[in-house]
Amino acid sequence: MYDDFANPWNIRLKWVYLLGVVFALLMPVFYTIYISFNQHGFGARIYEFTFDWYRVVLGDTLLVVSLKWTLYLALAAIVATIPMALLSAKFYKRTRRKVAFVALMLSPLFVPADIMGSSLLVFFKNLANGFVWLDEVLGVYWFDGWFDLGFLTALIGQVIYVHPYAFIVILITMSRYRVQQTEAARACGATAWQAFWQVEFPQIRVGVFSSCAFVTILSFNEAVRTALLKGGFDTFSNMLVAQMLNIGMSGESYAMAGIMSIVSMLVIGSVIVFTLLRAERLERRARAMAQPLMAS
Amino acid sequence: MTDPSDIAVEVADLSKNYGPVQALKSVSFSIESGRYYALLGPSGGGKTTLLRLIGGFLRPSAGRVYLHGQDVSHLPPDRRPTSMVFQNYALFPHMNVERNVSYGLKLLKAPAGEIRDKVERMLAMVGLEGYNRRMPHELSGGQQQRVQLARSLVLERDVLLLDEPLASLDAKLRKDMCLELKRIQEKVGITFIHVTHNQEEALTVADRIAIIADGELVEEGSARDIYETPEKRFTAEFIGDNNVLPGVVANLSDGRVTVDLGFASVDVASHGVAAATGDDVAVSVRSELLRIVDGEPDAAWQIMPATYVEAIYLGLTVSHLVRLPDGTEIVARVISGEANDGAFEAGKEIAVGWPGDRARLHVA
Repeated sequence: MYDDFANPWNIRLKWVYLLGVVFALLMPVFYTIYISFNQHGFGARIYEFTFDWYRVVLGDTLLVVSLKWTLYLALAAIVATIPMALLSAKFYKRTRRKVAFVALMLSPLFVPADIMGSSLLVFFKNLANGFVWLDEVLGVYWFDGWFDLGFLTALIGQVIYVHPYAFIVILITMSRYRVQQTEAARACGATAWQAFWQVEFPQIRVGVFSSCAFVTILSFNEAVRTALLKGGFDTFSNMLVAQMLNIGMSGESYAMAGIMSIVSMLVIGSVIVFTLLRAERLERRARAMAQPLMAS
Repeated sequence: MTDPSDIAVEVADLSKNYGPVQALKSVSFSIESGRYYALLGPSGGGKTTLLRLIGGFLRPSAGRVYLHGQDVSHLPPDRRPTSMVFQNYALFPHMNVERNVSYGLKLLKAPAGEIRDKVERMLAMVGLEGYNRRMPHELSGGQQQRVQLARSLVLERDVLLLDEPLASLDAKLRKDMCLELKRIQEKVGITFIHVTHNQEEALTVADRIAIIADGELVEEGSARDIYETPEKRFTAEFIGDNNVLPGVVANLSDGRVTVDLGFASVDVASHGVAAATGDDVAVSVRSELLRIVDGEPDAAWQIMPATYVEAIYLGLTVSHLVRLPDGTEIVARVISGEANDGAFEAGKEIAVGWPGDRARLHVA
C-alpha cells in the first residue's frame, strides 16, 4: 500500500540501508574479480590489467576437465530435477495439506551440507555393500558396482540439494496460473498432457527456465556434498577448494573464483531482469483488464 | 411421456463425497434434448458439483451419468460430448481470440479452411466479428464470456454446461447476456445446463429449473411452476419474495385445508399435498399477491390482522412491511403509482390478505 503521509526521508534511508547491505555482501566478490585481472595477483603494489590468469585456467587440462564434469553434473541435475520440481509444484496446488507439503519439500535445506553429504555417503556405502551381498547370495555379478561412489551418487546428492530451490521458483510462477484453464482445455477435448503442454506450460515457462538457471548455478557453487559423493572425478568447485586448501589463493584461484562469480551473476542477473520485465508486462495487462477497452 | 431417445442428460442416484462431507446426495433427474435447464440454489448447495460431475471434472462417489443414453460416468471431460463455459479466468491468456476459439477444432485436426469458417461464424454469432486478433486482456468481462461461449459452441457438442457464466458481470451486462444466451440457445438448439444462484437469471433463461440445496434436488419444474406454484417450503422461501407462515392443520375437507396460524385461520387449497389434522405445515403467499385491505374485504379473501410498519420505495415497486400479531414481519409489494401504493402511519392497525387460492400449502 502506498502511504501518502510517509516521510520521504524514511524511504530514502531504507534504500541507502538496502544498497549498503548489498554492497557489503558483494564487495568481497567484486574485489576477488578485481584481483583476478591483476598481472601481479593479490597483495601487489602495482595493478596491471591482464587476462593471463584466465588463459592459464582455460589452458589447464585438469581444470577444463573439471569444468566439463561440472557442466555434465549441472545438465544431469536439470534433466532429473526440473520434472520432479514441476510435479511437486503441481501436486502442491492440488493438495489440501499445503503447509506440511512445503515443509517436506524444503526439509533438505534445513540439513547442513556436510551432514547431508556424509549421511548420503554412509547410505550409499551400505547400499553398495547390500548389492554386493545380493550378488553373492544369488551367485551373480548383476549388481556389482551399483551405488559405488561416482557420477550417479554425486547427482543424487545434487538433486536433493537443488530440488527445493527449483520447486520454489516453479511454484511462484505457477501461483499465477488458473486451474480453470486446464479444465477449459479438457472441455475442448484436450488430454491431460495436451492441456499441460499447450495451455499450462507456456504460462509457467519462465519459472521452468529460471529453475534451470538456478540448478546450473547451484551445481557450480556446490562443493561439500560433491566432494563426499563424487568418487573418481572432480568438479570445478572441488578443484578450487582443493587448491585453496593445499596451495592457498594463487592468481589462478582468483581467476577460477572470477569465472564462477561472473557466470553466476550473469545468469542470475538475466533471470532477474527478465522476470522484472515480465512482471511489468503482466501488471500492464492486469491494468488493461481493470479498464477494458470496450464497455460490453 | 417423454421419448427416452429425447433425453440428453440423465443422472441416476448421483452422489459425491469429499471425505466425510456429502456434497451431493443421491440426485436423480433427466433433461430433454434442446432444453435450457437451470440448476438454481444457494451457494455451497452442490449445484456446481453436479455440473462438474456431468462434465466429467469429478468422479461420482455413487450413481451414474448418462448422455444420450450412454453411461459416461467413467469418462474424462475430453471424451464426453459436452463443452463448458466457466465463471471466469478460463480463456487462454497467451492465445488471441481466434486461437482460443479454434483450440478445440485444432485438437480434432479439422482442416484449416473449415476451422477459419467456423470460427468466423461463431464470432459473428456472439457479436465479436473483427475481434480475432485481440488478446483476452484486451476484452471486457462480457466479451471474454462471449469468447468462451464461442469456443464451446464451435465444437458443436450436444450439451453445453455453463458454470455461473454471468456471476462476474455487472447487473446491466448480466441482464443483456441472459437474453443473448437464450437467443443463442434457441438458435443452436442444443441442451444448455446453466448453474446460477441468481433466481432472476434462472427465470430469464431457463425452460426448466432444478432447485439444488444442501446436496439435494429440492424441486424441479418449469420456470413458471417453480415461481408460481412451488411445492416445497424451501422453494417458496428461495424463489421470489414469498411470505411463509408456519401453522397447524386444523381441518380438512374436499381438497381444502384450514390452517391455524395462531392468530388467524386461513383456508388453503391442498393441491394434492398430503396433510393430516394436527400436522405442522407452512402457508406461502407471494408478496405481490398480498394486499393491505382497505375497507370491507371480499368474502373470498383470506384475511389476517396486522400492524403497519413502513413502506420501502424500490423504484418499480413499493414494499409495505407489516407485522403480524405473533411478531412475524411480512411484505406486501405493489407497483409504484398504483392506487394503494401509499404508506400508512406506522403502528396503524390494519388487515392484510390475499384473494382466493393464491396461497400454497407446504408440509416440508
